Amino acid sequence: MTSVLLAASITVGSHPQGKLFGLTVNLDTLWATGAAMLVVMVLGLVLRARATSGVPGKLQLVWEAGVGAVQKQVETSIGPRGAAIVPLAVALFLFILVANWFEVFGLGAKYEFLPAPTGDINLPLGMALFVIVLVHGASIKSRGPIGYVSHYLFQPFPKFLFPLNLFINVVEEVARPLTLALRLFGNLLSGGLMLALIAALAVWHIAGLPVGYLAVVLFDPAWKLFDVLLIGPIQAFIFSLLTLIYFDVAMQHA
Amino acid sequence: MILATSNFLVPNGTIVVEVIAFLIVVAFVAKVVLPPLNQMAEKRQAEIAESLGAAEAARAEADRARGERERTVEEARAEARQIVAQANRTAEQVVADARARAEEERSRLVASAGEELALARRRAVEEVSAEVAALVLAVARQVVGREVDAAAHRDLIDEAVEVLRSGDAMSRRPAAGVPAAGVPAAGVPAAGAPSASQE
Repeated sequence: MTSVLLAASITVGSHPQGKLFGLTVNLDTLWATGAAMLVVMVLGLVLRARATSGVPGKLQLVWEAGVGAVQKQVETSIGPRGAAIVPLAVALFLFILVANWFEVFGLGAKYEFLPAPTGDINLPLGMALFVIVLVHGASIKSRGPIGYVSHYLFQPFPKFLFPLNLFINVVEEVARPLTLALRLFGNLLSGGLMLALIAALAVWHIAGLPVGYLAVVLFDPAWKLFDVLLIGPIQAFIFSLLTLIYFDVAMQHA
Repeated sequence: MILATSNFLVPNGTIVVEVIAFLIVVAFVAKVVLPPLNQMAEKRQAEIAESLGAAEAARAEADRARGERERTVEEARAEARQIVAQANRTAEQVVADARARAEEERSRLVASAGEELALARRRAVEEVSAEVAALVLAVARQVVGREVDAAAHRDLIDEAVEVLRSGDAMSRRPAAGVPAAGVPAAGVPAAGAPSASQE
């Protein structure tokens, strides 16, 4: 049966690997990350070069609206202390968005020439850990070391239930970076997987007619449109919004 | 080891590079992209605020000027009203003065006319009384037939003149007064009437 053939030809999470300073690295993820960085930086430089205090262009307008929304969110929830978080949230959104949009180049092959780097656990988890470390740092800074520790022990339940409090809080703190990373990674990985499945439809024949090619031509753009317009922006937005919320929670009860 | 290389949920060395790459992106955004753009946005906001402030100031200035103009016009109007009222008062005063003067003049004229009248009357009475005295003497002389001594009969003459002088009833006094004057007077009309017819 063709279905068996299709399933056998699809691999999940395969990367061409290499060694860098003795570490195993996914080469396609690295160059895709480099490409995403390049795009973000060129975009930033173009914005910077075209920046005007007069009537802004479309790109600057979008940028200012986005940054303005982030600044407003930070300002209302955290206050002036949160100003340092704005560049982080903006960088997260931009970088994740650009990386997500690389799905457009997906061929559904085993190795993509330009895969979405967010579809590799390494980038989402790396960013999530980075964010969570900063969040804990902000929490210690705003609560003090004692406040930081007691925060785990004495809430949300009364003090004598501190083992329960500790358990709940530790689970929550561990779950945060994992959910942050896996949400993004899962969406992008499955996006790539969908492309592989659609591409595998190509071998589908009915009564000798290559119906599969038609299916690929129809479904591949449709899925990519959905990916680019919805999944990519939404996941980038959620990641940066959750980052802001984590910082908000960490710095609120100062 | 096989699990680590085959399971896509397990990160490998790539994560280190990815974190570094992301750090670079964050630093780039924070140091290179955001500051100038934020600066431009702030500058634009400042410019907008400035122009709004200038517009507000201009509006306030226009308001002030309009208020001043209205106040000036109102003042001028009030002044005009005052002037008109003053003029009206002056005119009334002039009219009243003239009327008072005319009234005074009239009463003065009336008074002097009355005085003149009284004087003329007195003069006429005196003239008449003098003539009457002479006439009485002449009549008496003719009647008596001899000279009447004016000095000797002075009292008689004076009495007659007094009768003449004594007021408005002069016209009817002679009829009543002459008989009342006594015996010599009683003879006068009796003798007077023929004498008059004789002349």
